[in-house]
Amino acid sequence: MRNSILERCFNALLTNGAFLALVMYLIIFIIYGISQGSYAVSVYGITVLFNNSIVIAIAAVAETFIILMGGFDLSVAGIVVLTNTLIAVQQGAGVGGALLCLIIAIGVGGVIGCINGFLVSRIGLQSIAATLGTSILCSGIALLVLAQPGGYVPDEIAYTLTDSIGPIPVAAIIALLIGLISWILLRKTNFGAGIYALGRDRTAAELSGIATRSVEFRAYVMAGIFSGLAGFMLSAQTGTGDPHLSNSFILLTFAAVAIGGVSFDGGHGSVIGSIIGAGILALLQKTLFSVGVSSFYTGIFQGSIMLLAMLVGSLSLIISKRRAVS
Amino acid sequence: MKNNSVDERFGGRNDGVAGFIKSNKVTVAVYIVTILLYVVTLFVSPSFRNWHHLMLVLVLASFLIVVSYGQGIVILVRGLDLSVGSMITLSGVLVAAWVSQSNENILWAIPLVLLITTFIGMLNGIGATLLRIPPFVMTLSTGIIVFSVVLGFTEGSPHKGNAPRFLNGMMLDHTAGIPNIVYFLILFIFVAVIVQSYSAFGRKLYALGANPKAAHISGLRNNLLTISAFGISGFCCGLVGMMLVGYTDAPTLTMGDPYVMSSIAAVVVGGSSILGGKGNYLGTVGGVLLLTILSTLITAIGLAEGWRTIIQGAIIVMALIMSSVSERNTKIASAQKNISKSVPETQKV
Repeated sequence: MRNSILERCFNALLTNGAFLALVMYLIIFIIYGISQGSYAVSVYGITVLFNNSIVIAIAAVAETFIILMGGFDLSVAGIVVLTNTLIAVQQGAGVGGALLCLIIAIGVGGVIGCINGFLVSRIGLQSIAATLGTSILCSGIALLVLAQPGGYVPDEIAYTLTDSIGPIPVAAIIALLIGLISWILLRKTNFGAGIYALGRDRTAAELSGIATRSVEFRAYVMAGIFSGLAGFMLSAQTGTGDPHLSNSFILLTFAAVAIGGVSFDGGHGSVIGSIIGAGILALLQKTLFSVGVSSFYTGIFQGSIMLLAMLVGSLSLIISKRRAVS
Repeated sequence: MKNNSVDERFGGRNDGVAGFIKSNKVTVAVYIVTILLYVVTLFVSPSFRNWHHLMLVLVLASFLIVVSYGQGIVILVRGLDLSVGSMITLSGVLVAAWVSQSNENILWAIPLVLLITTFIGMLNGIGATLLRIPPFVMTLSTGIIVFSVVLGFTEGSPHKGNAPRFLNGMMLDHTAGIPNIVYFLILFIFVAVIVQSYSAFGRKLYALGANPKAAHISGLRNNLLTISAFGISGFCCGLVGMMLVGYTDAPTLTMGDPYVMSSIAAVVVGGSSILGGKGNYLGTVGGVLLLTILSTLITAIGLAEGWRTIIQGAIIVMALIMSSVSERNTKIASAQKNISKSVPETQKV
């Protein structure tokens, strides 16, 4: 039976979280465009939009790896803040300094990711609890590295990464790269297939010969590395170090993943959705501001959008189940 | 034999001291470590060797003891409450704004605030059950929304009103050398333990947490139980917001934040399973006392703020590893027992 294009779109809207997120983004962007006029589509305006969402976007990609397996990673915030303080206290400058910062970010993320992976896949701890522990450990070390906000981030990072090349914002290129890398990892490798299989049915994955422990371990390492990169981008944004990351960071990360249509039961969703979800959160903030809603009430809208996305998610699950039955 | 194992899971009703220790190994271990830590603190800092300091520790622990009860009940039924921080702040801000120093409005304000936070908690439960939103996401969203409402209500400035005298007296005054809040705490823990470990309602919660499908088949109303568990968490947050305002005299916008992670930590350190269905409140209280005394010890030694955080994180990870190892051992032991039992039975058949 052939469906009309309209019907297909409607189906995709209900069953494909990333598509729904994209539609939401476009709707909010239209409101934003109407209230802001030409600024909304200027190079500067778009660069600001990308810069505001890139940190949460990368953190959300890291989180997506774990949530797709049906786990939770609370250590994203800890890794981000630890990377940020280490980058702020390192003394290198110039391009060498920038490279050193990148190595620090990937190294810190990789090490903490290894610890998480070991605790969860080898010792068998529950992911929420284990990563809560490592997250607290990380923020403690961050406080030892840098007791007060301060320090200095090489200009090469702070300026270049927040600028735009011609009409294209650097942050957009980074988002595209991160999205592409994680998309290849998840969709084109056995490792990625393993992650989805683990999230859908752990026992079945094990029985079909997937090395579940190894997949789980590597997923935590990847999540750690992406979290480190998020910390790297945060340093570029703020240009300084701060051992006290705002409490809302981890909440916004989960919100981005939820809005992006990734199922918290595991096995369904995509990194693209999470990246768009992060974009929606930043765009929403700007739109509410430009429409004249007090910034106090941003949270009400963020929370409601998150719930709405989850509701559509569980609704689509019920619909697809009913169809499978009939 | 069978009765004994059931009682073990509920953490109550055992014959004799030996039986109690046997069935509550983790709880006993937590208290032993806590007492050892306290002794070490007394050695390190002679100025702490008095009654007054012991009472101070209890007052400092009181906030977390109350929040962790709600958090523990929610975790027991396989949930997680990330909105406790916002609910605590909401309660504190509302009480200070509505009552403000006089005791006039206290008769309606305190019950109303408790009603509001309980209602928000129940909304969490409704989302988690009827709307099938994972508790993690549901409570995260309500947390964000409630905090946003608080921001709007206070217009960003935390100083709107002061602590009612009644709450001040509750937190700061003493009766017979003991802070008033400690009496309240004893009463609270007594009622809480009865509800969780010795009431029909509590046993239903354990059954739901241990196996939701079996609980449903045996006629329990799972949704209602989950909603009331989240409601209890909301109620506890309401209490803690008022206690904090009474203690510090004025609400702040961040006063609830530290309690989100630390309440989960206390429940985990106290020996409850984060997967639900296992653990008891006395263990959680032990976990809170352990974390609080550790914190005072670190202050006494004069370590940097970072070390305090690192040690707390390490303790959580260690507690997790210990409980997972002991869980595995008991599983292996019971599996072996079953095998040795089942052999003669099959021969009979």
